[in-house]
Amino acid sequence: MSEEILKALMQLFAIIAKQDVGLSTNERGYVKSFLRQQLDEASVKEYLALFDSYIGDEKKQDEKKDKPKLTSVKDSVKTLGISKKINKTLEQKQKIVVIARLFELINSDKQFSPQRMAIIDTVSEVFNISKEEYENIKSFVCEDDFEKIDIPDILFVRGEEFENENAKNIVMPEFKGVIAVLRVQSVNLFFVRYSSEKELLLNGLPINEKNIYIFARGSVIRQAKGKPLFYSDVVSKFLSDDKFINIHFKVEDVDFTFPNGHVGLRNINIEESSGKMLAVMGASGSGKTTLLNVMSGVINPKSGNVYVNGMNLHENSEFVKGIIGYIPQDDLLIEELTVFENLFFSTKLVYRDLSDKEITEKVNKVLHNLGLFHRKNLKVGNPLNKEISGGQRKRLNIGLELIREPAILFVDEPTSGLSSSDSENVMELLRELTARGKLVFVVIHQPSSEIFKMFDNVIILDDGGYQIYEGNPVEAVTYFKEMDNQINSHVGECPSCGNVTPETIFKIIESKIVDEYGQPTDSRKVSPCEWSDLFNKKEKSEKSEIEYDKLPEPSKKPNWLNQLKIFFKRDLLSKVSNKQYMLLNLLEAPLLGFLLAFIIKYIEDPTSDTYIFRNNDNIMPYVFMCTIVALFLGLIVSAEEIFKDRKILKKESFLNLSRSSYLFSKIGILFILSAIQATLFIFIGNYILGVKGMYFEYWLVFFSLMAFANVLGLNISSAFNSAITIYIIIPFLIIPQMVLTGAMFSFDKINRGVGGGGEKVPVIAEFMPSRWAFESLVVNQYKNNKYYKDFYNKRALESALYYKNVYYLPELKSYVENSIQHINNDADNSSFKENLKLIKNEVKKENNSEFSRAHSYKFDYLEKLTIENYDREVANELLSYLDGIHKFYSDNFNRVYDIIDNKIRERTRTPEKQSEYQKLKNDYHNRYLASFVKNEMNPLPLVRIDNNLVQKSDPIYRNSKPSGYLNFRSHFLTPEKHFMGSFHNTFVFNVIVLWVFTIIFYVFLYYNLFSKAVIFIENATPIISKRAINFKNYIRSIFVKK
Amino acid sequence: MKKVYSIVLIILIGGFVLFYNSCSSGKERDDAFDILEDTAISEEMEFEDEEIVGMISSVPNPVEMSVLLQRSDVVFSQELMNPVNNIDNYNSGFKKALNLGVYGTNLVHMNIYDRSVATVRYLQNVRNLAEDLRIGHFFDYETLNRLSEQSRNVDSVLYITNRSFDEMTRYLIEENRSSLAVLIASGTWIESIYIATNVETFPENKEIIYERIGEQKVVLDNLMLLISNFRDDQQFDELFLDLMKLKKEFDKVNIEYIHKDPIMKEVDGRIVVVDKSTSKVNIDDEIVRGISDKVNYIRNKIIQ
Repeated sequence: MSEEILKALMQLFAIIAKQDVGLSTNERGYVKSFLRQQLDEASVKEYLALFDSYIGDEKKQDEKKDKPKLTSVKDSVKTLGISKKINKTLEQKQKIVVIARLFELINSDKQFSPQRMAIIDTVSEVFNISKEEYENIKSFVCEDDFEKIDIPDILFVRGEEFENENAKNIVMPEFKGVIAVLRVQSVNLFFVRYSSEKELLLNGLPINEKNIYIFARGSVIRQAKGKPLFYSDVVSKFLSDDKFINIHFKVEDVDFTFPNGHVGLRNINIEESSGKMLAVMGASGSGKTTLLNVMSGVINPKSGNVYVNGMNLHENSEFVKGIIGYIPQDDLLIEELTVFENLFFSTKLVYRDLSDKEITEKVNKVLHNLGLFHRKNLKVGNPLNKEISGGQRKRLNIGLELIREPAILFVDEPTSGLSSSDSENVMELLRELTARGKLVFVVIHQPSSEIFKMFDNVIILDDGGYQIYEGNPVEAVTYFKEMDNQINSHVGECPSCGNVTPETIFKIIESKIVDEYGQPTDSRKVSPCEWSDLFNKKEKSEKSEIEYDKLPEPSKKPNWLNQLKIFFKRDLLSKVSNKQYMLLNLLEAPLLGFLLAFIIKYIEDPTSDTYIFRNNDNIMPYVFMCTIVALFLGLIVSAEEIFKDRKILKKESFLNLSRSSYLFSKIGILFILSAIQATLFIFIGNYILGVKGMYFEYWLVFFSLMAFANVLGLNISSAFNSAITIYIIIPFLIIPQMVLTGAMFSFDKINRGVGGGGEKVPVIAEFMPSRWAFESLVVNQYKNNKYYKDFYNKRALESALYYKNVYYLPELKSYVENSIQHINNDADNSSFKENLKLIKNEVKKENNSEFSRAHSYKFDYLEKLTIENYDREVANELLSYLDGIHKFYSDNFNRVYDIIDNKIRERTRTPEKQSEYQKLKNDYHNRYLASFVKNEMNPLPLVRIDNNLVQKSDPIYRNSKPSGYLNFRSHFLTPEKHFMGSFHNTFVFNVIVLWVFTIIFYVFLYYNLFSKAVIFIENATPIISKRAINFKNYIRSIFVKK
Repeated sequence: MKKVYSIVLIILIGGFVLFYNSCSSGKERDDAFDILEDTAISEEMEFEDEEIVGMISSVPNPVEMSVLLQRSDVVFSQELMNPVNNIDNYNSGFKKALNLGVYGTNLVHMNIYDRSVATVRYLQNVRNLAEDLRIGHFFDYETLNRLSEQSRNVDSVLYITNRSFDEMTRYLIEENRSSLAVLIASGTWIESIYIATNVETFPENKEIIYERIGEQKVVLDNLMLLISNFRDDQQFDELFLDLMKLKKEFDKVNIEYIHKDPIMKEVDGRIVVVDKSTSKVNIDDEIVRGISDKVNYIRNKIIQ
């Protein structure tokens, strides 16, 4: 109690005491004993003197006026003044206490005069105390027969059953007398008074029958013999108005083995029911967290079962998970959000029917409970960059679960790293939950005596996952002392201070055998296995069959779309509030775009300063770089997304939220970011390089590729368990894509083992989104630019005719001429045989080619093109056929050539037209890109592959022959792709393929296939992992020796 | 949930369809095929193929002129070469073919004078033009590289260029594209004359050079004969008319034939007839200047 309150109280006491009859000895006695409770002897004197001086002052004034019978106006004014003054400095709780003390003062002498009451009335009015509570306090303090008070806010503790209409009752066997507890609901404060022959101890201090005491959080009332009365017992009785579901939690013969073969848990049996807080203790590595994970359903046991109200937890996890809460050791907070926002979003995810306003109210209430209300607008920050303290973080973590009110709560090391007062604070918070019917399991390491005693039961595990104790914490000490044959083993706690030292337990459990020199050896006196046997032999109370309550339906969570909205908003808010992140992401793309484009803005003519798009050799490399940049940006922005959230995801897995809505929110935000980045990059890059009229197409491809990379990044971020691994993986994903884009290394000139030099794009490159993106952009840039699109179709025809004319037919003819020499000579000659097959193949193709409908030549002796039937006559027929079509191709080539030439001439007829044409060409057509898409670097216009002649020149002008209804494979840089019976624009088709990739990877992500694969591979390599462990041990041994 | 999925799906599909329709351009390609015809188009020429080959072959290889100039110690002048960047101006087949000849001559000329660094870009130009004219297969890198490597061996260069040129000519005629061959030959010839007549200071033995210029009178006649075949085309007609003006200058050149009886001679066991007739070309500074003016006019029109 602060000095200020004490002074104020003294004043108020003085005012009241000197009314009517004046100060009585009883009253002064009360003040004295009251002060004694609060202060040391020296201060008591000081304050008593103060009180006396106040009384003296008052008396003098009163004597002068000689109107002792009535409450003077002056007194009223004075009371008002003091009350108002205190009003500003005291919390509501303290004000209630002040009122109670005032009543107590009057009660000490039973002088309930109207004047005195009037003063208290005034005070309570100023303090804003409700009439009802005022009356309650008054009757609780002043009534001698307090046992007869029968209001809902009072609770009686008696030795035997007792019936009351409104008041609550607790039966405490062997207790003689009555304890009454009054609840002041508005501030959640409890007063206690009692009447009994026996002495009672409140928190270790004896209490006076006459006085009332505050029954603070965590308090305990003890009698000499028998069970103590805990704060939680009282609270739970008051709260039992609300219907709680009785939870019965049973762990039956649970074993757990780690994937590497280590045994984590052996034969664990636990049976508990709601309203209790249990500690799980044990040396480090004894399996505490594992046990918690098994009990909460996060991991499945190897054998044995966990039942919640008779329902198997691991088999009905969907259903049961809804009532389970899990608070891991690590933070689950979103660092970029404020304390309030953290709670707000998790609340929104839990409650479907509440409006934002209701949720805000709920959150504020919890924040009050957590004592975090005044911090609600602080950013959580990370542990290194603290904005709120460690204890506050922990409380907020607990708050995240509290708000959901799970029936069973698992907490992993809530006190680690906290100061002792923070620890107690946190534990009290958990203890209070049991009052509301929750079952709380807490893994705890080296608890203080205070904390240790808060638990109803402890479960102790020993090395290797042995369960060596379950039961009352204080009894645990006596049990192990007994087992260790120690003296005074029946004493659990320090008789004088009531302290329990849990360390003793572990000292006993782990005590070592001492050798003849008095040195402790490595081996333990009692092995974990023996402890476990001892425990199993211990008599256990038979648990009777229990009728289970039906488990509540999991709370109605928000629907898919609302979840999406919440996730989205939460993620967006946390991103936007991270200034570095936003700034970097928004600047990265335009800066890269600028850098890239500026560097490669090449002017060919050394004497000129005018940039000409047509003569910039770097446009194709620019397109290539676009794909790489898109991949990089897309991957990097997403690679840590899910990884970062994995702790929160673990927690939220208990909420049974939709994974797809979570993923959609992630993807949504990433896509928006990517779209912005793509816009900035392409706008700046294309603008600087003068890539005109293609902004949308570049943007679309860039964005599509980024979108793919986003989803790919999400996949790896959900598959790997450290940031380093993720960033090691990125080159593995990017470099093959760079190599197999088709830009750096021609598909004609790569290893034949991976499909190089084939007719079509190597199969492996079909799986490279970068390739699809690059191809679509390059093809589109070449054929659909403003300059070329008018010419493209005719140019394509010209190209086809030229190829037939200049390369193909002469080559075919030479095969035929060559074959004539072999007729009748060497029928066995295998190359002749093969050549004949080639001729047959090609003639067949020619007969059916798209040109065949334009001419009347046809070769009718296809079936004679076999080694048996081939003769000179057939050969001559063939040659004349070839001559015929050659003529056709040649004529039509000239025709098409002239058409194109005339068109150009038409467009360059006048000097103005000429310069206009020239400008168009300079601005839209790129020479080097043209040479690339026409494959001019490849000296061979056609090659023989098996028994086919395959054109290599001008890939941009020709389509691949369809080879199946659904087969879309074709050569690189084809203008159109065949799929489902018709040809489709490569640009559109490739973009669609990119999105198909994205969707496929989304499905992978949804089903977590990557992470399953990683786990599978890890498990499938026991030999390697064993080696690795051996190696690790070896390395360790080297360092240890040194 | 399912409803949401299906809505998303519908939006996606709808988006794709819209996007596809707006970007797709599948059908035009088929239309292009309608141009094709099964009937031959043939250039109407008064000459037999072989005659044309002969006439085009009469155009001297530019190597000869360049070698003559170089051996006569005529100084090389880069300004006489067609600037590389001019290639951007050539869009029509007509211009491209003429300038292929021009750049070809430049290439050869620079080669003879060992200007190998600058040659590279002329090489590119020749190749690009040939590629555009769809005769790129006669200008493959291999041949062109051999050309630049063997610049010191004049005979070899002469052989390769003559052979490639003949091959190309034959091919073009065979393919009914003799107009192209004629244009390339004209470009080559005009550039050759241009270089020869624009020598800044003629050396001591300018007579040989003058004589060589005068001899071109015959070649011009052949060229004009060939070009006249295509005068239906306005561009050809213009060129023809320009050449007419040049012809007027050349007409001032007088070539005297001094007839001598041919003699028979045995070479490698075979009897060969050797023409002993000679000709004398009468040409003076003024005529050369006249020719030069006209050639400059025509050439600068071509390279514009």
